[in-house]
Amino acid sequence: MTTSSEDVLLSVNCVRYKKGDGTLYVMNQRLAWMLEHRDTVAVSHKYADIKTQKISPAGKAKIQLQVVLHDGTCSTFHFVNPGGPEAQAKDRDQVMVLLQNLLPKFKRQIDGELEMKSKLLSLHPTLKHLYEDLVISKVINSEEYWNTPTLKQYTESSNIKQEAGVSGAFLADIQPQTDGCNGLKYNLTQDIIDAIFKTYPAVRKKHIDYVPNKMTEAEFWTKFFQSHYFHRDRIASSSSKDLFGECAKLDDHAIASAMRHTTLDLTVDLNKFIEHVPLLPTEEEASNEKDRSDNNSIHRNMIKRFNQHSIMVLKASQKSNSSNNSNSSSSKTSNNNNKVIENGVKDTNGVSKRPAEHSTEPIEKKKRILEQIHYEDLVADQGNDDVQELKLSKVERYLLGPSYQISQTSVQTSHPPPLSALASVCQAWSSGQQCQRPARVSAGAAVGALGELSPGGALMRHHHAASMN
Amino acid sequence: MKLTVDGLLVYFPYDYIYPEQYAYMLELKRALDAKGHGLLEMPSGTGKTISLLSLIVAYMIQNPHHVRKLIYCSRTVPEIEKVLEELKNLFNYYEKSQGEKPNLTGVVLSSRKNLCIHPDVSREREGKLVDGKCHALTASYIRDRHERDSSVPICQFYEGFNREGKESMLPYGVYTMDDMKQYGADRNWCPYFLARFAIIHAEIVVYSYHYLLDPKIAEVVSKELNREAVVVFDEAHNIDNVCIDSLSVKITRRTIDKSSQALQQLEKTVAEIRDEDAARLTMEYEQLVAGLKDAAIQRETDTILGNPILPDEVLNEVVPGNIRNAEHFLSFLKRFIEYVKTRLRIQHVVQESPAGFLKDVSSRVCIERKPLRFCASRLASLMRTLQIPDPSHLSSLVLITHLATLVSTYTKGFTIIIEPFDDKTPNVSNPILHFSCMDSSIAMRPVFARFQTVIITSGTLSPLDMYPKILDFNPVIMSSFTMTLARPCILPMIVSKGSDQVAISSKYETREDVAVIRNYGQLLVEMSACVPDGVVCFFTSYLYLESVVGAWYDQGVVASLQRHKLLFIETQDSAETSFALINYIKACESGRGAVLLSVARGKVSEGVDFEHHLGRAVLMFGIPYVFTQSRILKARLDYLRENFQIRENDFLTFDAMRHAAQCVGRALRGKTDYGIMVFADKRFSRADKRSKLPRWIQEHLRDSLCNLSTEEAVQICKRWLRQMAQPFTREDQLGVSLLTLQQLQSQEQQDKIEKQVIQK
Repeated sequence: MTTSSEDVLLSVNCVRYKKGDGTLYVMNQRLAWMLEHRDTVAVSHKYADIKTQKISPAGKAKIQLQVVLHDGTCSTFHFVNPGGPEAQAKDRDQVMVLLQNLLPKFKRQIDGELEMKSKLLSLHPTLKHLYEDLVISKVINSEEYWNTPTLKQYTESSNIKQEAGVSGAFLADIQPQTDGCNGLKYNLTQDIIDAIFKTYPAVRKKHIDYVPNKMTEAEFWTKFFQSHYFHRDRIASSSSKDLFGECAKLDDHAIASAMRHTTLDLTVDLNKFIEHVPLLPTEEEASNEKDRSDNNSIHRNMIKRFNQHSIMVLKASQKSNSSNNSNSSSSKTSNNNNKVIENGVKDTNGVSKRPAEHSTEPIEKKKRILEQIHYEDLVADQGNDDVQELKLSKVERYLLGPSYQISQTSVQTSHPPPLSALASVCQAWSSGQQCQRPARVSAGAAVGALGELSPGGALMRHHHAASMN
Repeated sequence: MKLTVDGLLVYFPYDYIYPEQYAYMLELKRALDAKGHGLLEMPSGTGKTISLLSLIVAYMIQNPHHVRKLIYCSRTVPEIEKVLEELKNLFNYYEKSQGEKPNLTGVVLSSRKNLCIHPDVSREREGKLVDGKCHALTASYIRDRHERDSSVPICQFYEGFNREGKESMLPYGVYTMDDMKQYGADRNWCPYFLARFAIIHAEIVVYSYHYLLDPKIAEVVSKELNREAVVVFDEAHNIDNVCIDSLSVKITRRTIDKSSQALQQLEKTVAEIRDEDAARLTMEYEQLVAGLKDAAIQRETDTILGNPILPDEVLNEVVPGNIRNAEHFLSFLKRFIEYVKTRLRIQHVVQESPAGFLKDVSSRVCIERKPLRFCASRLASLMRTLQIPDPSHLSSLVLITHLATLVSTYTKGFTIIIEPFDDKTPNVSNPILHFSCMDSSIAMRPVFARFQTVIITSGTLSPLDMYPKILDFNPVIMSSFTMTLARPCILPMIVSKGSDQVAISSKYETREDVAVIRNYGQLLVEMSACVPDGVVCFFTSYLYLESVVGAWYDQGVVASLQRHKLLFIETQDSAETSFALINYIKACESGRGAVLLSVARGKVSEGVDFEHHLGRAVLMFGIPYVFTQSRILKARLDYLRENFQIRENDFLTFDAMRHAAQCVGRALRGKTDYGIMVFADKRFSRADKRSKLPRWIQEHLRDSLCNLSTEEAVQICKRWLRQMAQPFTREDQLGVSLLTLQQLQSQEQQDKIEKQVIQK
């Protein structure tokens, strides 16, 4: 039952949910649905849980509204007003508009850290127990609790959120729809616009320059979709009308400068691969003329644009990554570092160039070569014998095990750890998969069996033949 | 480990060994014992280089009188660097187990551009400019001038080397390019000339093919190398083309224009000198009369390029009278250039023999054969006399004299083809004169004759019997090794039809067919959806790549491809391609995955490795036949048929298949690596094509994998990838594809290895 304290803002009859007709209530705290002639609420979503709402496109036979929750599940409501599609659409739009106004109010940004901490506590009863014992009983304050080394490491390591990159196909995914009268309609969402801005800084700049002073948002994007910049198979028009003609040039410049400032790996530097015969004109020089008279520059241009697009997409996602987790020493960041060094060298431009080049370049190069000639299976791994790598199947268990640090250091003297915590840990151990393990097949056999069972496998072939008969 | 190969104690710097490495060493030793030449094919990524090095080094140490030198030639600069690092590894292993490094020196020789440490000169980006500037600082007359006037700049590093460098030898050890530079910088010696000097005495020399095969360079650099040497050509599947290129000349209108300019400049200089210092010209004249053609005092720094013809063809005669005088020679050259210019002014294709060309020259501009033969050396002598500070702007003129010398020296095995325009653009006049060598054995012959053992080796040499024919030699050993594998780490497949059952093929009639292009696209999209990380595709030509990408964009294939992976495409600009490549690697490493579209025979296919996650799948779209309408190719095919009894079709298929194998072989490096190889063309399944693939690929290309549709191929891939993703440990490999010393010594293994060698 709904609590009486809640006001029903709107109730819509004839709403079908999972094949049952009922009533949809839009209340001030939640969205609820009740089956006809029942008095229990079958569906109830708090607005805070709802991520977005979606509606079925106009022209579809079914008039529907879907709400997507933060945990990924969604509920779909089908409007079946006997008054016909128009009445249904009206019903739906009412709900939609109301929700549109309500949802943002509840979209409070939960503090990421807090959320993470509460999740951690709810996942680990022992931790929660400790928290209750220590913090709530005011033995230590909350900050101290979370700052203990083990927990800190735990919270920080998972704190680094990886920002989702940009899909390589985001431009292609904007499929135009015909609106029936010789026009095209592009659906732009905020995500796509973000992706465009992130990948093409030049467009963002244009956007800042033009919107909203010189043209409206809609005009801007209309121009964008009309430009050659969006249509890669069109050749850049030299007319100044095209708003984005400049963007292509800016991109070219950006790529060209990136090209100059990137130290090429020796394994990919194609120009340095072959040693040329001294003094004689090189192949490129001789064929210089031919290149200029290219006949299908559309394709060539397109290929160039594809490369640029991929490079920029990659750059867009890398920028956000490296700024987020600067402490992760992946190869990506080392590449970035490299670039910085190179730039630094470029600026000084002279005497200091040589030593810098000498010190960094050969080491990098040598590392790369050694990597290439290394045969991991030919070398015995005796070097690693003394440094045995610790392999943990469950990191939390290692960090939160009974012999863990808080209990020994600061706490032990004043306040012994509750025995119940230990007991619960032990219980978790004994009931965990560690002890009673169901009979398993080896990985290899499992994969083999899976393979045989997938289409084309030995077992499936038989099955296929049988069904053919 | 220390192992015995047929009685020879070999230090092998690893604890385990692949059986095929041992087999390879066995064969190699036979060639060394017999002092004959050999042809060995072993899959890429099975440690060919280290097997070669450890056996030959061991052989040199134990039989110092039979083999005194190892000359290791590789194709690209990265390959050369890798060889040196492996050699270093080996030396370190010797040191570890014997207490001291072997008494051998290993040196690398590379171009001035890679070795120069002069602060100004080395900053030049182009090799040609480095050569020119170096010459301007080190030529003997510059240094003479410096003696008189110390304001004339010279290179301190060369001076340092010249003073002290030649007295001592390099200490034993291996010197990479960086080591050479460091060694030079420490002593104030020029690393380039140090390397040039060191290769004469060093026991192990590593450099690129040109230094041995191109007569222009070989004469300058490799003249004094010991004959009792083993020469190894690694990655030699393309060696015939290197030979041909080193004796061929291509003249465009641009070359003519530039050489006319250069000629005018020379004339001016001659006139000036005639006024100021006529004695110098007279002295040169006297020398030429006396027959001191290459004045004995010639210094190492004065010649950058030698004679373009092979040493046995060089005439030991006095320069003919009509070109002895500098002015006469220049007007002689002028006439010749004018003649070539008129020949370029044509409307239709002309093909003629060198003899016909010579006859025409003599009837039209009255130039005889003999003075033409001296053209190249006469120009070199003149340039020395005139003391041209920077010879790099004379390059086109040098090229013309090379043409003159070559055309008048060789009458057999060469052809001249003049094309008024490119076949692709018949409207644009772009005349080119090709002086083309058709016989790869010409440049190779002196090498075979001079050195006692020449080993030609690569991952893809199949069919082996083609090479002795086209290079014209008799190998004492000729073997192909397979790869022993504990798990099927390559998956070759021939996809012959799309999911709509339309046959896919890049043959001329169907290659532009929408259905074929769509099916290619679909194959790629589906593969990129199920293959992790990097996928590399090779097209038969750049033109085809362009048109397919255009069609794919229209069909929406590109869009669906971008949904799965980032797309990178090789372009004709190599700097652009390098940048795309480095981003491709980044994309693979960051886990995004990427697709690289590339071209067979292109720079990527020849030099870049896509090991591990950089290339989980390679797709070969079509059979990479060489452009068969090319007249140069046709001439070569005719020549091969007449002189070597090689049928046209055989050669074309051989050439196409070695490139296809080269492309797909890029994906595999080592036995822990794994990769899918898709041959997407119906014609691959024909016996004549399939049988020309290297044995190690053929072995895994079962009949059931030879006629697949896109869907079937994708299913098989999925299954195989799941299998490959399982942990793979050394224990799985041991005894099968990896041996310990004990296992190696067991009789059973020995027999197995003996059997494994497939001899032809």
